[in-house]
Amino acid sequence: MSYRFDRLRVLIIDDNQHMRTLVSAVLEAFGVDLIFEAQSAEDGWKIFQQNACDLIFVDWVMTGMSGLEFTEKVRTAPDSPNPFVPIVMLTGHTSIERVNAARDAGVNEFLAKPVSSKAILNRLVAVIEHPRPFVRTKSYFGPCRRRRRDGAYHGPERRATDAEPQENIPANAA
Amino acid sequence: MAKQQPIEIFMPPNILKAKVGGSGGLDSSAIKRAEAAIEELKEEFAGWLIEDVNRLTEMRMTYEAKMDTAALSDLYRAAHDLKGQATTFDFPLVARVASSLCKLTDDTSYGLDLPVQLIDAHVDAIKVIVRDGIKDTTNKMATVLAGELERQVGAYLEKHLGA
Repeated sequence: MSYRFDRLRVLIIDDNQHMRTLVSAVLEAFGVDLIFEAQSAEDGWKIFQQNACDLIFVDWVMTGMSGLEFTEKVRTAPDSPNPFVPIVMLTGHTSIERVNAARDAGVNEFLAKPVSSKAILNRLVAVIEHPRPFVRTKSYFGPCRRRRRDGAYHGPERRATDAEPQENIPANAA
Repeated sequence: MAKQQPIEIFMPPNILKAKVGGSGGLDSSAIKRAEAAIEELKEEFAGWLIEDVNRLTEMRMTYEAKMDTAALSDLYRAAHDLKGQATTFDFPLVARVASSLCKLTDDTSYGLDLPVQLIDAHVDAIKVIVRDGIKDTTNKMATVLAGELERQVGAYLEKHLGA
């Protein structure tokens, strides 16, 4: 059975109308029925608070609140309606420093520009099939920043407090 | 030895999977539909590109008039949009030149007196590539121009910013 993307509510936040139209057209073609669009992170936050969004695409570089700041707000604001919502960062940035900064903000996946339908689909499949555990520390709340478990790595776990993720523990926002 | 902070790791319920259902996959026609949707939009790409280039030109003029942080940030964002989208619009060399302009305008912490002539050269190069409809990444004139702009940006950053 194929995915029922028609059941999803997706929010696209990008201050560039053309990019919003492009991503929206691809999602519609995949069957997504309900797509919210916002031209700023501030507007996106309002939509996010008023609607149960299942997935968010957010641009990094925007006037006002950046995609990075928006992500941090979703993850940690006391009035965030869903701190676990998957967030895909649309970005023209590809340097490792930028990628690390986005991970530190709590982004799930990256979608590098120029975007393609296959790249969008790959990110959708990634957040559906390979969700990462969430981590709560004193300074961070969000998806585990270790990208993937490396099957070839047989050494000791390096984080002193490593623990196996527990299934389905409801947790309050940070 | 410093006391380690507690780390809580947990797996939230996979609501997305529960919603989209099943054994996964996407019917193969979906990708074709998406590609077709992009093809349909391509008729509009030329107009979109011109709008983005016009916005870049406007931001350049604003920056040259004001020379402040806000104007430089606006210029950077306009260049960044072109860097991200021009390849989708079938103008990869515009994306390359825009990327070079992004490098030049990315960091405002070193000062605002960036070389206006070098900014202008980028904007003018983008306008020429669009005007002449240069979509081929092997176009000699455009690649030489893009390479020279990248070289000048690299030299400027190395000289002035210690990059």
